[in-house]
Amino acid sequence: MSERADNTLLLTFARRGEEDAIRGALGALQSARPEAVVFAVATPESEGPLRAMGLDELVVLDASRSALAVLREAAARRPTAAAIVYSDDTWRGHLKLEIVALWSRARTVYRCGPHERVQEVGRLQLLASVAGKTAQAALWLCAGALAAGTAFCWLRATQLLAGGNRAHRA
Amino acid sequence: MRTTLLIINHNGRALLEKSVPAAEAAARAVDDCQVAVVDDGSTDDSVSYLIHHHPEVKVLAYRHRGFGPACNEAVASSVAEAVVLLNSDVVVSEDFLPPLLEDLTQPEVFAVGCKFLNPDGSLTDALGNRTSGEWRRGLLHLHHETNPARLNETCPQLYANGGAMAFRRERWNALGGFDDLYHPFYWEDVDLGYRAWARGWQVWYEPASVVYHDQGGTIGRLFRNREIETISARNAVLFAWKNLLEPRPFRRMLAAQARWTADDVLISDQPPRARALWAALRRIRAAAQRRAQEQRERVLSDSAILARAGGKPW
Repeated sequence: MSERADNTLLLTFARRGEEDAIRGALGALQSARPEAVVFAVATPESEGPLRAMGLDELVVLDASRSALAVLREAAARRPTAAAIVYSDDTWRGHLKLEIVALWSRARTVYRCGPHERVQEVGRLQLLASVAGKTAQAALWLCAGALAAGTAFCWLRATQLLAGGNRAHRA
Repeated sequence: MRTTLLIINHNGRALLEKSVPAAEAAARAVDDCQVAVVDDGSTDDSVSYLIHHHPEVKVLAYRHRGFGPACNEAVASSVAEAVVLLNSDVVVSEDFLPPLLEDLTQPEVFAVGCKFLNPDGSLTDALGNRTSGEWRRGLLHLHHETNPARLNETCPQLYANGGAMAFRRERWNALGGFDDLYHPFYWEDVDLGYRAWARGWQVWYEPASVVYHDQGGTIGRLFRNREIETISARNAVLFAWKNLLEPRPFRRMLAAQARWTADDVLISDQPPRARALWAALRRIRAAAQRRAQEQRERVLSDSAILARAGGKPW
């Protein structure tokens, strides 16, 4: 495969049973870019469905290598286009796919949902989507820290008010 | 020793057809033993079945409040020295009582757990046999022995599975029974065992007392898997908040719990820990009260409890 070929990166977390969504997106992508050589970043769950569709160029994100290594490997292929196929995953999954698409520096990005048409999105639009979801993730993390912090303060205060710590008596 | 077998039932009429005759046969093997069924607000014909088919069995019919409160109320109404709690999906072997009662005569023993087998006689995968625990990543991780060779000796364990356990009633009363902090189910038996150890008493595993457990009998019928998972995870958090008193591990536990939400954001398909944390937060006032009470009563540290109960301290 030539480095300057029309490399298209396919991104999906679709699992077994969601092959139709991937197949539809793949078909649309191939008709939009007939010369494209499609390779994909896959999870262990999506690897099976992707291979079953004849996609053998896979970068699998599994326990053997870090997410950063996978990102670098995907970017090293210098894709000219990236296609995000959303499955019925959470917004956190979508965020990860969009970050990979941005990281890959593909000039053109397509995306589609399980039963949607493939649409081209601008990098700015994608960046805004990532920023929104990142803010959501940050809020989520703050909420976790707040919950644990509240629990710590409350429990510790009650313990101290009840006469200090006497747990070392054994 | 005056003994009562309490079978806890909620809409388990079909299960009672097996469990009650087995309990009656076991009760006949010892002196001064009574069988009672605690009906936790069944809407099926459990009560009428018992009245017509087992008239000699005492029926304690309560409004539906869940496993813990039903057990507490039934034990409070009992006058026996030894009480054996049995789930309605547990079928006891005929000779399971004498070893349990003999263990309970040891002065340091509060409770004794049975050996759980599947209905076909194979070893169960569910928690129950020779239990132990280990504090890790902010939670007490529970273990049970699966090596058959290590399941043949009477030994200390962290807690006796509430599905089939014997205990001394006056110590149960001193502990206040099952804590309703964990309502509607799970972790109340772990909490009871842990608190007993914390007061310097012991919980034993008795392999000669064999019971057969038809897993997923009641809870699986009443709740969806996702609900069961979340309640179980929430109660694990509440257990830690209530019982982990040593300052350093306590701080580490809270730090680990703060990281759970990060895990939920960064890694998909995790257990519902962040959700459990928020659910637990709604009961923090009660957890804090119980924690203060535990501190007043405790004579053993968390490390000592796990070490003596055959688990791993940090």
